[in-house]
Amino acid sequence: MNWMIAAPEIFTFLAAMWFLLLSLAARPDPRREHLTALLLSAVGVAVCLVSVNSDGYLFVKAFRADLFSQVFKVMLALGLFLIVCLCGEMRDIEDRNRHDFYVLLFVCTLALMLLVSGDHLFAVYLSLELSSYSLYILVGLRRNQDLALEASIKYFLVGILSSALMLFGLALLYGAAQATTLSEMAPVLPGMIQQPSVLIGLLLTLGGLFFKLAVFPFHFWAPDTYQGAMNQVAAYIATASKVAAIGVLLRVVALAGQGSIYLVHVLVGLAIVSMTVGNLAAIAQKDVKRLFAFSTMAHSGYVLIGILSMNAAGYAATIFYALSILVMKFTAFLVVVAISPEGENPQIRHLAGLHRRSPILALAFMVSLFSLAGIPPTIGFTSKFLVFVAAMEKGFFTLVFIAMINVLISLYYYLLLIKAAYQAEPAYEPKPLVLSPSLKLLSGVLIAVIVVAGFFPYPLIELANATARILAH
Amino acid sequence: MPIEHAGLPVLSAILVSCVLGLLVIVFLPEDREKLVKQVSALFSGITLLLSVYLFVAYDRVLGGLQFVERVAWIPSLGIHYFNGVDGFSLPNLLLTGIVFFTGVLTMWELKTRVKEFYALYFLLVTGVFGLFMSLDLFFIFVWYDVSLFPMYLLIAVWGTTRKEYGAMKLTLYLLAGSALILPAIIYLYVGSGLHTFDVVALMQPGALSGDQQKFAFLPIFLGFGILAAVWPFHTWSPVGHVAAPHAVSMVHAGVLMKIGAFGVLRVGIMLCPEGWRHWADLMAILAAIGIVYGALAGLRQTDLKYVIGYSSVSHMGIVGLGLATVTAEGLNGAVFQMFAHGIMTALLFSSVGYIYDRTHTKLIPELGGLSQTMPVASGYFILAALAGMGVPGLASFWGELTVLIAAFKVYPIQGIVSVLALVVTALFMLRVIQRTFYGPANEKFAELPDVSLFLGIPRMILAVVLVIFGFFPGIIFDVIQTASIPFMSGLAQ
Repeated sequence: MNWMIAAPEIFTFLAAMWFLLLSLAARPDPRREHLTALLLSAVGVAVCLVSVNSDGYLFVKAFRADLFSQVFKVMLALGLFLIVCLCGEMRDIEDRNRHDFYVLLFVCTLALMLLVSGDHLFAVYLSLELSSYSLYILVGLRRNQDLALEASIKYFLVGILSSALMLFGLALLYGAAQATTLSEMAPVLPGMIQQPSVLIGLLLTLGGLFFKLAVFPFHFWAPDTYQGAMNQVAAYIATASKVAAIGVLLRVVALAGQGSIYLVHVLVGLAIVSMTVGNLAAIAQKDVKRLFAFSTMAHSGYVLIGILSMNAAGYAATIFYALSILVMKFTAFLVVVAISPEGENPQIRHLAGLHRRSPILALAFMVSLFSLAGIPPTIGFTSKFLVFVAAMEKGFFTLVFIAMINVLISLYYYLLLIKAAYQAEPAYEPKPLVLSPSLKLLSGVLIAVIVVAGFFPYPLIELANATARILAH
Repeated sequence: MPIEHAGLPVLSAILVSCVLGLLVIVFLPEDREKLVKQVSALFSGITLLLSVYLFVAYDRVLGGLQFVERVAWIPSLGIHYFNGVDGFSLPNLLLTGIVFFTGVLTMWELKTRVKEFYALYFLLVTGVFGLFMSLDLFFIFVWYDVSLFPMYLLIAVWGTTRKEYGAMKLTLYLLAGSALILPAIIYLYVGSGLHTFDVVALMQPGALSGDQQKFAFLPIFLGFGILAAVWPFHTWSPVGHVAAPHAVSMVHAGVLMKIGAFGVLRVGIMLCPEGWRHWADLMAILAAIGIVYGALAGLRQTDLKYVIGYSSVSHMGIVGLGLATVTAEGLNGAVFQMFAHGIMTALLFSSVGYIYDRTHTKLIPELGGLSQTMPVASGYFILAALAGMGVPGLASFWGELTVLIAAFKVYPIQGIVSVLALVVTALFMLRVIQRTFYGPANEKFAELPDVSLFLGIPRMILAVVLVIFGFFPGIIFDVIQTASIPFMSGLAQ
């Protein structure tokens, strides 16, 4: 076995172990730990980039490295690095918990990396659980005990319910296909997709992933968890965790080949309900993070539109969408973290006067929100456009129209946020915002990435196409 | 076949100067307000010169598409960066150049958040220019949205009456249009089987079947029609006009509403002529209702900007009626009316802007006798209002006349109703002129200064253009005909 194939996982594992050792040996030193984490996660991105062309099986074919998994690993490593960038100031966590925070963050990323390259059903399930359990604890780490505990327990309860369903679904799939790995199932499943047991098994398996993605009806944890968790952890759940969920969802759905009419109908229904419920509920929110939780749910609906097209174009569009979620959601959360230096939950009214307190943050906020709403020329528009084209190729005119209506609904609350940042004046003069130059630089880079990748998306689209070809065989 | 234009890519140069101006403004320091305005005037002046150059250099004998630029953008989806000018877009590009430059000058006295205002204003105009010159459906949609979303902040931050309500209503209405347009253009892409967003390729006979054209035309017409204030989707328009700052009202009524009509023409009519014929009756009825409704609603208004807003609904109805006739004369008149109405409303809003900045009111009963205190400023408004009434010698006359002649042949009832409505428009315009500028003067405003020579420049430019094309309408008609006559004869075959 060529160990180099597993380089990203091994590196992330060692990084997590390093923090574990530190937690046993050293006294907490926030600044040193943050720098170490930054360095390690940056090297992690480099390692993933270097091993992007790896190809092969690992650990008795439990895991499979191919372009698909490696591209997602790059996105995950990038997500980790970006989140660590935000961890410079963490006032709402006990000093003695800082090591554990980094241990869990790296372990969770490791689990997500394993998840996107999982091939054996058991490996998929185990890595899903490992990532979920790390996140349950991360959510509960916040010092502000009550909300965080409630969030953690809610997250946990919905999580174990959906993972139980998933386990049941995996068992059904195994029974039908007589195979334990995804690559062995891929040739046989499309032929037996009409069997009720296969269909139910597939849907239950998807249920476990829908939990990660906050698709209706597995979304109940999202608003409370986003609100209760630290801003940085909420950002991680909204970005890296979503990217991995999209990756493994694609792998599982690709098993269905051209799919069956029932499966497609169920996915269409879930997409419509997720978009509509998410967008309508978001309108009523006062807490920015709760609002983002519902908007994430709506975005999961758009992601499902790409997936249910069940063709290479749809998969490519979905991969591109995953990248766009990573960039634009992170940018929005960067602003959330930056405007609440004490780690409090920002309310919409706290955004008032942001354009004077920090023009660059206000600009980053506006660009990321327009991108989330799908307004060109941003990466968010391009990803929606690709998804809609793929769906239209399959003749889903009405679905695309409903999705566009949803874009309109979402625009309403995004505009309210933008208005709060640009037009509203604060009731009292808030403390001036002190931004580190590196955070300003990061905001500037992200603004540029969102706009440039929206306007010149061709290289990224080609990469997504190449990645999607792996799935479509 | 499109003619490749060697040499300077003029169309891209226009876009580049807009974007460059935007970037320069963004990186200027916040407190250098004067410099921001000068930079804005410089870059908008460059785009004006370039658009005048286009208008002059366009070969009227050759016709067809000129100044073509074509670069593959996303080959896997058949998307091209594809720009070109024909007789339909050329007057609109000139209009945009004029309104853009005069709008920058109209806002010369702006004091709050100057830098942000001009940055958003440049973004808005980049989208407008892009849409008029683009020949790729993907880019047309992108430019459409780029020209809309800055409107929200422009109105919500710098606006006046009920600005937050007006801004939200306008943005949601107009982006509701994009909810209809995007599925329709993807439908054209998929339905043609050519897998291209190239307008010229999709225009070839046989690219789209008759049923596909009929199906796609309606969402395209309604989607772009919202922006052209087609009744009953016009309600955002007067509210938005009233709430917006002056230069934004100018661009909004002068150019943005033309984007709507132009979108119907470029995407709806040119790609789906079968659908055009099929739905023409509906278009004519909605247009006639809009003309009458705008005129009657305008009669009752007491706010100067509401008056202009409703008269715009009425005048854009004339554009719609021209498009609905399915004749070359109708198209000529509609495009000419787009140009003339753009210049006219820009002048109206620019003049109201000056008056409002001094008196801080735009309510007609509070004004009165203004021609005594500021005769020149009043003169500009009265000139534009006369154009709005369709007085011969001013540009609007020719647009309305051509459309009505064409409409009488095809839709006599709608034609007669529209003429009656134009009489009502003349009535309320005269009433506004009488109450605002004549009669007893309001003592409060007796000391106000008249418009200075420098501040009058934008109004002067607009007034001169209005008069020139009123006496020499042929300059524009010649250009429009290079597009409309070949297009209609192509359909006849």
